[in-house]
Amino acid sequence: MLFNSIQFALFLPVAFTLYWFVFNKSSKSQNILLLLASLVFYAWADYRFLILLFASILINYYVGLRIFRTEKEVNKKRYLWLGLIFNIGILFFFKYFNFFAESFISLFNVFNAGIKFNALKIILPLGISFFTFQMLGYIIDIHREEIEPSNNLLDFSVYVAFFPKLLAGPIERAQKFLPQIAVKRIFNPEQATDGLRQILWGLFVKLVVSNNCAIYADNIYNGYASANGSTLLLGAIFYMFQIYGDFSGYSNIAIGVSKLFGINLMANFARPFFSTNISDFWKKWHISLTSWMMDYVNNPLSFKLRKFKKVGMSLSIVCTFLLVGFWHGAEWKYLLYGLLHGIYFIPLLLMKNSKRSSLVAKGKLLPGFKETAQMTGLFFLVCLTGIFFRADSITDAVKFITGIFNPSLFSIPVFQYRAIAILTLCFVLFMLVIEWITREKDHPLIDFETKYPVVVRWGVYYALSIVIFIFSGGAQPFIYFQF
Amino acid sequence: MEKSLIIKKIGEILSKTLKHNNFEISDSLSADDVEGWDSLTHMLIITEVEKEFNIKFKLKELNKLQNVGSLIELVQMKIQ
Repeated sequence: MLFNSIQFALFLPVAFTLYWFVFNKSSKSQNILLLLASLVFYAWADYRFLILLFASILINYYVGLRIFRTEKEVNKKRYLWLGLIFNIGILFFFKYFNFFAESFISLFNVFNAGIKFNALKIILPLGISFFTFQMLGYIIDIHREEIEPSNNLLDFSVYVAFFPKLLAGPIERAQKFLPQIAVKRIFNPEQATDGLRQILWGLFVKLVVSNNCAIYADNIYNGYASANGSTLLLGAIFYMFQIYGDFSGYSNIAIGVSKLFGINLMANFARPFFSTNISDFWKKWHISLTSWMMDYVNNPLSFKLRKFKKVGMSLSIVCTFLLVGFWHGAEWKYLLYGLLHGIYFIPLLLMKNSKRSSLVAKGKLLPGFKETAQMTGLFFLVCLTGIFFRADSITDAVKFITGIFNPSLFSIPVFQYRAIAILTLCFVLFMLVIEWITREKDHPLIDFETKYPVVVRWGVYYALSIVIFIFSGGAQPFIYFQF
Repeated sequence: MEKSLIIKKIGEILSKTLKHNNFEISDSLSADDVEGWDSLTHMLIITEVEKEFNIKFKLKELNKLQNVGSLIELVQMKIQ
């Protein structure tokens, strides 16, 4: 079920009403409703993998308890390995099996082995990269003695399957989520209206900004062979805003929907384009994945490599980002995407002055010249990696990039429906301005209630809703559902 | 070793690694309060602390650190 579908528009009010008015007697009944709703939600998208979801819940629940209750360290480790093998195993089978089989066979065929490969028809279960990573973090944290396992199977199932975050995150941490559902939730109108405002902003960013950018990005990417340099550059920029609007829009909707049920999820985006260096960027882009990778990959790896100091740290961060890239999918282009981001970190690590601040132009209306230059430079570096992310293959991406860097870069972009393209760029600009003004806040409409009179508030709600109805850029599925 | 001496040495390591002194060292100071002390520089700081006090940390011990206070406690325990 997509957030921007009719089914969801019917599902959400029904779940909301049952949750607050029928199943509202205790935390147990609330959690039963949340689990049932989540199962319906998942089954609607793909009922075949409900068994996999259940297996993951049961095995990780059991492994978590065993790691905690077993006395000897060696046995704790055994249970941890059991959990790691199960989680990585299902992810490997569903997501990476064909990639590895194909790569090994091509390697053998370099020596004329003449092996033929018939790819298995494996369908990727929705949300698998998200819930498996959540589970991996859960059992590792128990083994690290940072959290205690849940001893309530119902609560644990809700933690894994909670529908707002099931298909594309945020990759939630147990220590933040489980305590929230261990107690009976009491309806808080402020939290719920804040959730609605966040959903409204998410819908605008996804349906208006991202979906309109998608039309142009798709057009330019599909016909890139004959396009001039400036058109290709514009295509790369459109794609960057498409993917940002898509995933940050999704995240705002997911977090907003969750608030309607009295549960706060972690922030997933924090205005990443207003960053002056790559480290800062990743602290604000897909935060739940980056923080996961830092805690469970970069931290142990850099610990192992610490005697090599900055070289060790650089190697560790490159490996971490290779994995970030590979997390997106079993394709060489994603690996290269990750590698580039990892490489971007190296100058930062080697630089003598490591001063970094995460909020650009704090307390000021506008950024200074240096900050603007840094943000613009970083944006184009990220755009460059976006080309590998979006293109069909590395070869296509390289052709696309070489196409940008030729004299036609200084000509006027050529593509259809220019008037709507200019309107789309206006929407992008509007989004950036609003996000800049509210860059210290969780989401742009957060303190609307206290800051503005009712006329202004409702004026903005209506204006945004009308813009969404008129200018929604066609049906586009969420990009991150495929991961 | 006196706690005050450990604090002083850790303060020196922080300013040397992060290239600034914009912090006031105390037990409750945490990485979030100090500009530039993030997951990238953390391990560099830890390596310097190991070298300075001639000790070796375990990853499990590091994961439990909350602030400078818990780092000092850990160092004290290790050098005893």
